[in-house]
Amino acid sequence: MNSKYKPNIIAFLCNWCSYTGADLAGTARMKIPSSIKTIRVMCSGRIDALFVLKAFLKGADGVMMMGCHPGDCHYQKGNYNTRRRYVLLDNLFKTLGLEKKRIGLWWVSASEANRYAKVTNEYTEEIKKLGPNPTSEEIFL
Amino acid sequence: MNKNIGVYVCECGPNIPERIDVDKVVQEMSSMDEVKTVKKFNLMCSNDGKKFLKEEIEKQKLSHVVVAACSPKDHEKTFMSVCQESGLNPYLFQLVNIREQCAWMIPDKEEATSKAVKYIRAGIHRVLYHNPLKKKEIEINTDVLVIGGGLSGIEAALSLAGPKRKVHIIEKTDSLGGMAADLSQVLPHQGSKMDLIKKKVEQLESSEFVNINTFSQVKEVRGFLGNFEAVINTHSGNGGVEEKEIKIGAVIVATGFNLFDLKKNPIYGYGEADNVLNATEFEDMINSEKILLKSGKKPKSVALVHCAGRKEQGYCSKVCCLYNLKFAHYLRDHHPDIEVKELVIDWCLPHKQDQSYFEEAKDKGVDFIRMDELLKTKSTGDQIQIEFKTNDKSHSVSVDMAVVAPAMVPSEDTTKLADILNIPLDKSGFFKELHEMLDPVSTPMEGIYLTGCALGPKNIHESLTQSHATSGKIFSTLVPGRKIEPEVKVSEIKEDLCTGCQTCLSVCFYGAITTDSFKGVSVVNEAICRGCGNCVGSCPSGAIRSKHFTYPQLYQEVLDALR
Repeated sequence: MNSKYKPNIIAFLCNWCSYTGADLAGTARMKIPSSIKTIRVMCSGRIDALFVLKAFLKGADGVMMMGCHPGDCHYQKGNYNTRRRYVLLDNLFKTLGLEKKRIGLWWVSASEANRYAKVTNEYTEEIKKLGPNPTSEEIFL
Repeated sequence: MNKNIGVYVCECGPNIPERIDVDKVVQEMSSMDEVKTVKKFNLMCSNDGKKFLKEEIEKQKLSHVVVAACSPKDHEKTFMSVCQESGLNPYLFQLVNIREQCAWMIPDKEEATSKAVKYIRAGIHRVLYHNPLKKKEIEINTDVLVIGGGLSGIEAALSLAGPKRKVHIIEKTDSLGGMAADLSQVLPHQGSKMDLIKKKVEQLESSEFVNINTFSQVKEVRGFLGNFEAVINTHSGNGGVEEKEIKIGAVIVATGFNLFDLKKNPIYGYGEADNVLNATEFEDMINSEKILLKSGKKPKSVALVHCAGRKEQGYCSKVCCLYNLKFAHYLRDHHPDIEVKELVIDWCLPHKQDQSYFEEAKDKGVDFIRMDELLKTKSTGDQIQIEFKTNDKSHSVSVDMAVVAPAMVPSEDTTKLADILNIPLDKSGFFKELHEMLDPVSTPMEGIYLTGCALGPKNIHESLTQSHATSGKIFSTLVPGRKIEPEVKVSEIKEDLCTGCQTCLSVCFYGAITTDSFKGVSVVNEAICRGCGNCVGSCPSGAIRSKHFTYPQLYQEVLDALR
């Protein structure tokens, strides 16, 4: 694999926990890979399965969903919906024989800048190992 | 509509140019067809910056504005209000975060610049899909429903009731006063027999702005801040139930606590050995001024056992140490012939007068015995033997009477009430505050507030303070004559697309969605909706739109991130 390969990763972050956590990581000058492109939504429960699929089919090498820890949702239980949706997507990927690692769900709270840095760096490394997403060329949709 | 997009890149002092080539960004953006003007400015959030933005919007007749600067958490509102002042709908604006999530996290200047370009481009494409949103105003009801007629509820009702605010207070028992009404003395000043509560109850009863409902419970609460409707069930004397509906603007939950059931754990010997009392039974004895054993004789020794139920419940109840000291003081003052042994696990004496109160008890000859763990309480003949462990060694004391201090636990209807009000409970089963430190008396449901021991163990002083805090919240939100502005970025359901499957109803935690049974579609109550978008993400027919976070808007962000 070309070592200069820079994956394109879309991260959907909830406004209250994960996005704030990401901001904090920036404020603390933590090193976050430039491959991560964040998109802010009010609640991780807003992340429609279609967003993830669309991003994937449009060639995202990885799609991250991030929300508040279970029990800490700003809207009480929105992240439980996210979790169900993730399970749905996970099964869908399995059924269709797609690379499951291309999508993932993480809980990152507003104070967990360290965790944000850790998961984004680790995921980027993982995606680097997988290489570019072949889907955009292989699947016609 | 003519689209004139203005893009402004804030340098934020040295913060952004240090890592991002701002001139290159400006150059890249100028090449976009949609953009009318691109400029950089040093500090957009300063007064000069705001003035500059305002002039630009007016002079260039901009239809949309994109500012690339800090996180929306910092200055989204600042720039939105500048748009508003300049006559541009504030929702035709997008703030792109190139500071926290770009400049500050990517050390490589080239990489950071290219990421910033992508973010700003996404912002420009997104803003094209923005719609002007209008703020709405809703009339409010300023009345308040207080659930629970204990001290916390009484205090909240007293501070709220007035000519422009009626307070309905409901109490499930026959009288107001709650648990505190049974106490013998109020600590730490050793006040006389609860004059405090008596006075407050009288004051409430004589107030024309307070409506007291005893033998009553809440059956249903629906609505939102400023416009709640509650159904109250009142048990009448003949066993019947009377139902009435009231309209209020806010709800205060002051349902207090219960005592831990000592029978749950045999080590306390409660209910099995004679002369083992719980704290309230001992309070009654003090009230009647007769400290007597079952046999009618006066005890020669009394043990005060701390921390019953602390381990089982998993938290400290805060007040037991102090009221055990109160008992010790009482016994030493009024019955100097009774020997007092206090069996203590950990001291919890957090308030400023507590320490001296403890020292005084020591001086009065109270025997404090440290234990690590209580093992057993059993009766041996006329006496009660209490076995405990200290430093891995077993010890025991024998006394005539034992008073056990049970933990405070949630009152029995807490779970039911949480369901009715749609508010969460914590791990211990008490009501959960919105944020322990930042918002300690609010709930996720706007307009429903918590006070006193409904939130967890608390002394009287703390409960009253919280009641004042809830009143303050209500005073500042439900101002007579003023209207409230509900969230603008709410969900919206397209009737033509809705199949009436009601999936959205099940994911809405606020009860903001109802079914229009005539049309067979779901309807959003915009006053309740908080704009989380869970319904949007779950709608199988794509009938729901989340204002300001619509599919096309977010889709543009996805596309540009991948471009």
